[in-house]
Amino acid sequence: MTTAEAIPAGTGRETFVLNLGPQHPATHGVLRVKMTMDGEYVARAEPVCGYIHRMQEKMGENRTYAQFLPNTSRIDYLSAMTYTHAFVGAIERAAKLTVPPRAEYIRVITSELNRISSHLVWWGAFLLDLGGFTPLLYAFDDREKILDLLEGITGSRLTYSYYRIGGLYNDVDDTFVKGTRQFVAQMRPRLKMYRELVTENIILRKRLIGIGPIRAELCRKYGATGPVIRGSGVGYDVRKIEPYSVYPEMDFIAPAFPEGDSMARYLVRMEEMAQSLRIIEQGLDKLPAGPVMAEKVPRVLKLPAGDYCYAVEAARGRFAVRIVSDGKEIPYRVKLRSPSLSNLSLFEEASRGMLLPDALALMGSLDLVIPDIDR
Amino acid sequence: MAGGDPAMNAKLPPSIPFQPVDYAAKGCHFEAVIAPDKVVEAAALLDGAGFVLDTITGVDWMAEGQMEVIYDFFRLEEALRVAVRARIPRDNPEIATISGVYPGANWHERETHDFFGIRFAGHPDLTPFLLPEDATYHPLRKDFVA
Amino acid sequence: MEPQNDAQILKDCSPYVKFAKLDELLALGRANSLWPLTFGLACCAIEMMAAGASRFDLARFGAEVFRPSPRQADLMIVAGTVNKKMALAVKTLYDQMAEPKWVIAMGNCAISGGPFVFPGQYAVIEGVDKLFPVDVYIPGCPPRPEALIEGLLKLEEKLTGKRRWPVVTPQ
Repeated sequence: MTTAEAIPAGTGRETFVLNLGPQHPATHGVLRVKMTMDGEYVARAEPVCGYIHRMQEKMGENRTYAQFLPNTSRIDYLSAMTYTHAFVGAIERAAKLTVPPRAEYIRVITSELNRISSHLVWWGAFLLDLGGFTPLLYAFDDREKILDLLEGITGSRLTYSYYRIGGLYNDVDDTFVKGTRQFVAQMRPRLKMYRELVTENIILRKRLIGIGPIRAELCRKYGATGPVIRGSGVGYDVRKIEPYSVYPEMDFIAPAFPEGDSMARYLVRMEEMAQSLRIIEQGLDKLPAGPVMAEKVPRVLKLPAGDYCYAVEAARGRFAVRIVSDGKEIPYRVKLRSPSLSNLSLFEEASRGMLLPDALALMGSLDLVIPDIDR
Repeated sequence: MAGGDPAMNAKLPPSIPFQPVDYAAKGCHFEAVIAPDKVVEAAALLDGAGFVLDTITGVDWMAEGQMEVIYDFFRLEEALRVAVRARIPRDNPEIATISGVYPGANWHERETHDFFGIRFAGHPDLTPFLLPEDATYHPLRKDFVA
Repeated sequence: MEPQNDAQILKDCSPYVKFAKLDELLALGRANSLWPLTFGLACCAIEMMAAGASRFDLARFGAEVFRPSPRQADLMIVAGTVNKKMALAVKTLYDQMAEPKWVIAMGNCAISGGPFVFPGQYAVIEGVDKLFPVDVYIPGCPPRPEALIEGLLKLEEKLTGKRRWPVVTPQ
């Protein structure tokens, strides 16, 4: 473990600054990391953000509540459903709208499908970073099946904007229900194959076990949530601790692994996919009949003055929305609490003294989506 | 604090003036409005009680000539969200940094400085975080013109 | 030996010897092996990855070799929003690519700033063609992978003058 200051002058050794990004295959978006390197070891890794800053919070002050809804899908486009859920949830809390149960169940089912598709992209891209190309093709094949299901009800493959203030804009049909059950049935053997061929692969194990240990206390100090803190042994999941929608009626576990290394974070996400399949099945079994939109949602929505918050468990961690309203139809302030920002903020401390490929494995195991950081 | 769930009350540091909030309507359990020179002390107390820093939000109350900094915290073991709010004068917005207590506050404070121009006294590196390195503007101020 | 008719020689050889203009051959080679630069900025990048993955398979068109280095790529697919902080990097990457090079602007953000243009916007470049010339524009937010493939076919048509497959008209 060295720092730039620890190298004595005149020894012929010096550190150099290696610039990773903003265009780089391993940074999963436009992230720049200024790495001060001592040979192959990272002395200091300083992330530089802002290369995809798209003024989401400023747009929140320039758009009505309904007009801002499509933005929520684009903040973290891989868990678009959950982000829209947080935004409409905050408004429904404020306007005291009751979402019909059928809509709540469909929201949970689609959020969990979204979680699986997000974890599949993470898994394929992570293995691509580590050097294995084939899992990406398998992951995207499974993901296409999910996207077919979601496209059938929402019309879109990636940025859904499916939830509306008060419910959903479109009900699901039999094709969706049958197709989702078929998907769940064929996904379980696929997860088993991934476990046997990839998770138990000796090369992956050597690349991930013991790499990038993050203690739970570090996660707490930086606010890291999601699979990062669950990979350090703390079973914090917003769906369990601060439940919302119909998650209290679902029987699932939020997997936590105590080791705190990249392998633990990897296993958390693989197990989460299996748990999401369980939630989807239960959701389909319990799906009640009824309307999918609340009654009497005002056409021109004005929230009473005050602050309204809502937190959800997105694929990357805890995503929270705070809407500050001053009684008008345009919010006064929309604050988006981004899980990737908190997860990346501990990278500088956690990557000190690591070898460069290990630091990249650590960064991949944090599962970052950079537009979520930059908003 | 008056009212609120006794089990939750027991987890809160007593010297911060938390008031209970209607969670079903607002999504927060307790809120405290404190003076800006007390934020580091409040953060240290909450850190000692095991809270996690959620985020730091800035709000520009231009009509009132003030800016507000809202610190959100939550607990890992049970549902308990608290918010600590502090108001500072808008024409000279400065508040102490809590990044000595919560290192995660470093980036949140840089972002709030980017958007509002609030100076966090004692912050190790208050350079632009989301805006370009040479940016001198603060876009979320209500009088910002692009 | 008997004197041979030139036309007859050509006709006899035609199954074995082909003639073409060098330009056309080069254009055919370039069109069938466009190597994109890995330049996914935001949401459109995921649809670009999906286009390169198993179902939509850009490998059929010779374009699956995404090169991380601009020196080794000849096609820049700008997939996502370009903002002012990133603009210098994008321009540098474009300048580093060797001629002949082409640019596809994928998605509404690359065409005109997309959904992030509003009065008072301070961060987004309204269209990547404000930085350098674009050959093909693919609208969508995000465009489907099939739309990206169609954009690629249009670029091939621009290079060779002929479309690889006829346009399907709905019955």
